[in-house]
Amino acid sequence: MNKFLTTIFVVMLWPLVTTAQTPSWNEIKGEQLIALQTKGDAVRGEVAFEPCQGCHRNDASGRTSGAYPRLSGQHATVLIKQIVDIRAGRRINPKMEPFIGDHALTPFEIADIASYLQGLPISAEIGKGPGTRLAAGKQLYDKDCTSCHGARGEGSAEKFYPMVASQHFRYLLRESQFIRDGDRRNSNPEMVKVIKSYSNSDLEALADYMAQLPPPRR
Amino acid sequence: MNRPDKDRSRKAGKGFRALGPALAVALGAAFGNPVAAQDVQTVTATVCAACHAEDGNSVIPMFPKIAGLQEAYIVKQLRDFMSGRRKSDVMAPVVAQLKPEDVAPLAAFYSKQKLKPGEADNKKAIGLGKLIFHDGNEETGVPACVGCHQPQGAGHGVYPRIGGQHTAYVTQQLKNFAASERSNDVSRFMRVTSKRMSEEEIHAVAEYLVGLEAK
Repeated sequence: MNKFLTTIFVVMLWPLVTTAQTPSWNEIKGEQLIALQTKGDAVRGEVAFEPCQGCHRNDASGRTSGAYPRLSGQHATVLIKQIVDIRAGRRINPKMEPFIGDHALTPFEIADIASYLQGLPISAEIGKGPGTRLAAGKQLYDKDCTSCHGARGEGSAEKFYPMVASQHFRYLLRESQFIRDGDRRNSNPEMVKVIKSYSNSDLEALADYMAQLPPPRR
Repeated sequence: MNRPDKDRSRKAGKGFRALGPALAVALGAAFGNPVAAQDVQTVTATVCAACHAEDGNSVIPMFPKIAGLQEAYIVKQLRDFMSGRRKSDVMAPVVAQLKPEDVAPLAAFYSKQKLKPGEADNKKAIGLGKLIFHDGNEETGVPACVGCHQPQGAGHGVYPRIGGQHTAYVTQQLKNFAASERSNDVSRFMRVTSKRMSEEEIHAVAEYLVGLEAK
């Protein structure tokens, strides 16, 4: 009888197990694929970005408070993925969603905006952390983060890994907590695994270190 | 093999050609030809000036200043009033006196006038209003007005000039957007934004805007 029940459970749960084994954090299809295949026009992107400026500022430097991230100089691929994920509800962002829903932007305009932002210079005005945990932060960063986000925090356009250098401290801290706690659902599961055991204090040190990294040269 | 068809189509073609002039007359009577624009100076003097003043700088706080608004914005608002997309008991009978072809010359005329700013009644509200205009409210997700409406509220393209506008009018429009009584905003942006604003913030930002002079 027990054996029978076990068999039933295994059969029922098998699909869950297999989907967990093939992480779908970045399935490139639908409007993400369309936007990625579009050659973004930065001039049109500048106009399409206007409604975003109310939060992200006219120079896309975001807020030093960390309430809204800096977008200038970020990889276009990363921007496209994040916008599309928020539209699809894979990343929950109720403040932003009404401004970037499909009633407001086409996938082509997303490509334009991403191209515009990627080409913007990175502002010097970055919300820094306390600066007291830099050594601890560097140690964690060098051990666990460089293989994806790069030695200088430059990220990877090709692999959809964001540039983390010169991002606002509070934003880095908040989002890394969301990722660790499973609240940012479009995260790379590999990253969730890596920072699962990090304490808040570890994440603070890490964010302190990343925020003060100078803008990486392209 | 194809001949009979060809003949038939030829015959039909002839029939239609004969019908042509008759059809044109009938359609013309049914739908009318585009009506030429009325003289723009006559329209501004007889239709608009009573509320908006001759140069578009209304002196009645409930009626907006329309001087210096973006041409594209005026076109859109007049068309929305005419089609009923923007509802107003005041404007509905007024636009009924306009012909569709009047819209472009009116928009061109008023967009070229200079909007004259006013003064806040409640000067204590200006500080908060300035903050909302430049920073929004990060807690509640109110975007800063300056993002779309530009420094000094000068406006750009589809986003209207709001610098110098009457406090009472701005307050009323923000409330109308928040209640979705006005729903002709670009991509619902103003409905979303105004719903996130407190009554105090709405009043304050309107008091700040009235004194802004934009180039």
